[in-house]
Amino acid sequence: MHPDRFERRHIGPSPGETKEMLDYLGVSSLDELIEQTVPASIRLKKPFSFTDFEGVLGEFEYLGHLKEIAANNRVMRNFIGMGYYGTITPSVIARNIFHNPGWYTQYTPYQAEIAQGRLESLLNYQTMVTDLTGLPISNASLLDEGTAASEAMNMFYHEKNKRAKAGEEANEFFVSDKVFPQTIDILRTRAVPHGIKLVVGDWKTAQFTDKTFGVLLQYPDSEGCVSDYRPFVEKAKANGVFVCVAADILSLALLTPPGEWGADVAVGNTQRFGVPIGYGGPHAAYFACSEDFKRQIPGRIIGVSVDKHGHRALRMALQTREQHIRREKATSNICTAQALLANMAAMYAVYHGPDGIRGIATHVHEYACAAAEMLSAGGYNVVHTRFFDTVRVEADSQKMATIRSKAEAAGYNFFYDNTGIQIAFDETVTERDLAAIGGIFGVQPGPEKSGSLAPGSLRRDSAYLTHQVFNIYHTESDMMRYIKRLENKDLSLMHSMITLGSCTMKLNAATEMMPVSWDEWANMHPFMPAEYARGYAQIIAELEKYLCDVTGFDACSLQPNSGAQGEYAGLMVIRAYIGCNGRYGSGGSGLR
Amino acid sequence: MAGMEVVVVACDERGNIDVADLKAKAEQYSDRLSCLMVTYPSTHGVFETSINEICDIIHQHGGKVYMDGANMNAQVGLTSPAAIGADVCHLNLHKTFAIPHGGGGPGMGPICCNNSLAPYLPGHVFAKMGGEQGTTAVSAAPWGSASILLISYAYIKMLGAEGVTNATKYAILNANYMKARLEGAYQILYTGENGRCAHEMIVDMRPFKSLAGAEDIAKRLMDYGFHAPTLSFPVAGTVMIEPTESESKAELDRFCDALLSIRKELDEIASGDYSHDDNVLHNAPHTVEETTADNWSHPYTREKAAFPLPYLRQGWKFWATVGRIDQAYGDRNLVCTCPPMEEYA
Repeated sequence: MHPDRFERRHIGPSPGETKEMLDYLGVSSLDELIEQTVPASIRLKKPFSFTDFEGVLGEFEYLGHLKEIAANNRVMRNFIGMGYYGTITPSVIARNIFHNPGWYTQYTPYQAEIAQGRLESLLNYQTMVTDLTGLPISNASLLDEGTAASEAMNMFYHEKNKRAKAGEEANEFFVSDKVFPQTIDILRTRAVPHGIKLVVGDWKTAQFTDKTFGVLLQYPDSEGCVSDYRPFVEKAKANGVFVCVAADILSLALLTPPGEWGADVAVGNTQRFGVPIGYGGPHAAYFACSEDFKRQIPGRIIGVSVDKHGHRALRMALQTREQHIRREKATSNICTAQALLANMAAMYAVYHGPDGIRGIATHVHEYACAAAEMLSAGGYNVVHTRFFDTVRVEADSQKMATIRSKAEAAGYNFFYDNTGIQIAFDETVTERDLAAIGGIFGVQPGPEKSGSLAPGSLRRDSAYLTHQVFNIYHTESDMMRYIKRLENKDLSLMHSMITLGSCTMKLNAATEMMPVSWDEWANMHPFMPAEYARGYAQIIAELEKYLCDVTGFDACSLQPNSGAQGEYAGLMVIRAYIGCNGRYGSGGSGLR
Repeated sequence: MAGMEVVVVACDERGNIDVADLKAKAEQYSDRLSCLMVTYPSTHGVFETSINEICDIIHQHGGKVYMDGANMNAQVGLTSPAAIGADVCHLNLHKTFAIPHGGGGPGMGPICCNNSLAPYLPGHVFAKMGGEQGTTAVSAAPWGSASILLISYAYIKMLGAEGVTNATKYAILNANYMKARLEGAYQILYTGENGRCAHEMIVDMRPFKSLAGAEDIAKRLMDYGFHAPTLSFPVAGTVMIEPTESESKAELDRFCDALLSIRKELDEIASGDYSHDDNVLHNAPHTVEETTADNWSHPYTREKAAFPLPYLRQGWKFWATVGRIDQAYGDRNLVCTCPPMEEYA
């Protein structure tokens, strides 16, 4: 075993310093201090241990160990879509942000005077989101598309009912059945405590009642179809119903954005702007809204102000809504931000600029068109003629099984449901992929890749990313220096200790961080077949077990993607327990 | 909260949960009590000895105990949420288990619970997971931000049971060392029965409020090359310091030296050396433009403004790039997208 142990790298005080500190405190040993600090009544009765733990690994050994587990993840070409897409993280961003503790070890920018770098980048993010969605206000990110949609639902519910008497609230939220299934699932979770009734159905035949307060649409929808929602949105507006659209951020480079056809809110994932899929995250979800909601918008908003010298200075705006100031009245209870990932997405837009983004969107769309033409010519029924990146073909279960087995043998994942197969293209697509897909489906690629987005009236003609920041850093030298200039403005753990109470700003060791960007962990789709993600399954199983050891509990869920989500999940679990155990009668009446 | 009504329980003068008040409220709401939410060690940085009794009271009235895992870095390997009597907790993997804060995210907040609650853990439409009667999903992806789970996994694999326990012990040592160094100059709010803090402590800045506010002290720390501790939480007019185990004595001393130096600067205001509205705290942070400008009108020197301690000349100086920010101005004139480039001075 190599003599260098990680523990001495992680723990600050050396043996000599430890002795000096203990002397200063007048105790003879660390254990004596612990006895004075942690009440005996709650101390563990025997030394702590991890279940089935094979021995402590040194840093080098650990990386070798993780390489072995990584081999159980199969790196495949993922054309599954459903909110997660292949993307190319520009190397200049990977190296200077994703792998750079100057960008990943800072705290939330409450101390704005030493956080102007990431505040500027987050303002770029908000500008990018407002431009692409066509809505004037954006926050600086939420956890994921599903929780962003639920925040919209809650915001609409409170706005609609702010003067309603108890028991007379408008409580129906219409959700198109072509919204991503995981989003609908989260909406169900979040609807329960408010007594909101979800109505899931076909938007084309939806009827509003006097109880309908809002709707959610997906654009393009979960089958890839680009629909013209404008008449529907007009009808909603006429009925006083608020509209949220979950929109694919890249598609908005080519499609008329929701803000231009009346949406009150747009939400979505910005993952495909250069952030690895990572088997589900982390990514930044966006939330944009109309002026009407600017004081209700959930989450953190970066705003422009001035410093005492009268110079432009950025900071988080409308802080009075934040929980640390008015805890009971906070509007942003379960909406942690994803600053690092928002910064990566913003830098992707800065680096590519409007022409680059349009070029990438066009590239993706043309491949989808080529695939559609190829499949159609080969006798497949391509279900939707109007699409951006996702092609859906009809298939019976026998056909589907054949295709699936050929696809997986060739290293390709598509999305399958009861009646069809979907192929979602992304910017990583090449001719080889098209040929391979042709091979899987038994058809030949045609010579042409031109295609049309279909409804001409939904083709975007408004400009976006026009601000200078998106138009001047397009060489790697300029980009690298821009990133560095911003980094230099921010105090991080690279400068000094950050003593934030209850935030535990401990070492984030380089060895712990490095594997996150390995292909075998980064390029895994959360909805790919479990049999190809056995490496992840092993990590998940082991970590769940270790966390149960740490807490002394029996079971673990790794699903909540922030502390606040964890609290919410914990309370919902208690709620379910109480409801199921009939403590307050069948309805759990004690829970309002 | 999650559709439940919140009933707040009082604290006693030591900052601990008022057990009599808790008991009375648990009885009063017995037919509707669903759970207690508690942070442990408390948000005041203290291991409360009555925690087992507190959990028992809730259980007697049919409730469950939810423990906030924010302060797990004081528990790992020494005690546990189960040992204090809780039923479910979340863990901030971005705090206790080494995931970086990312400048304001990402994080991860998995929950652990005992067998009574396990059947209700959340499921997912695209994955077989969760309890038999699991709730619907809370996150879009089955395992949340799965890729960063690797960081916590690495932390555990490379430290092992003894290492993670030592991390806790050192977090407590570092906090108590800082407390000992700062005591005398500052008053530490709330400590345990032996006068010890857990892994963090609250330093009371209210005694100085006629001289400078806690915020002034926070901003002045920037001139010393430090980020402020948590400000005015959980008590207004205080700062809460958590050093963690990862900092050496040398670094702890540097931070303590800065705070002790600031205490002297407070004394200089008290003694009338500097006025209340023109002193190093009131004017902090000092930018490089301000400090190097031909025009300098403050009653203290530029050196005092920017290099108040010798270490700052040894490579530790960090310059805030803007002066104190006017919060209200920006809220009155809300601008949330990039202003024209000419304004990027």
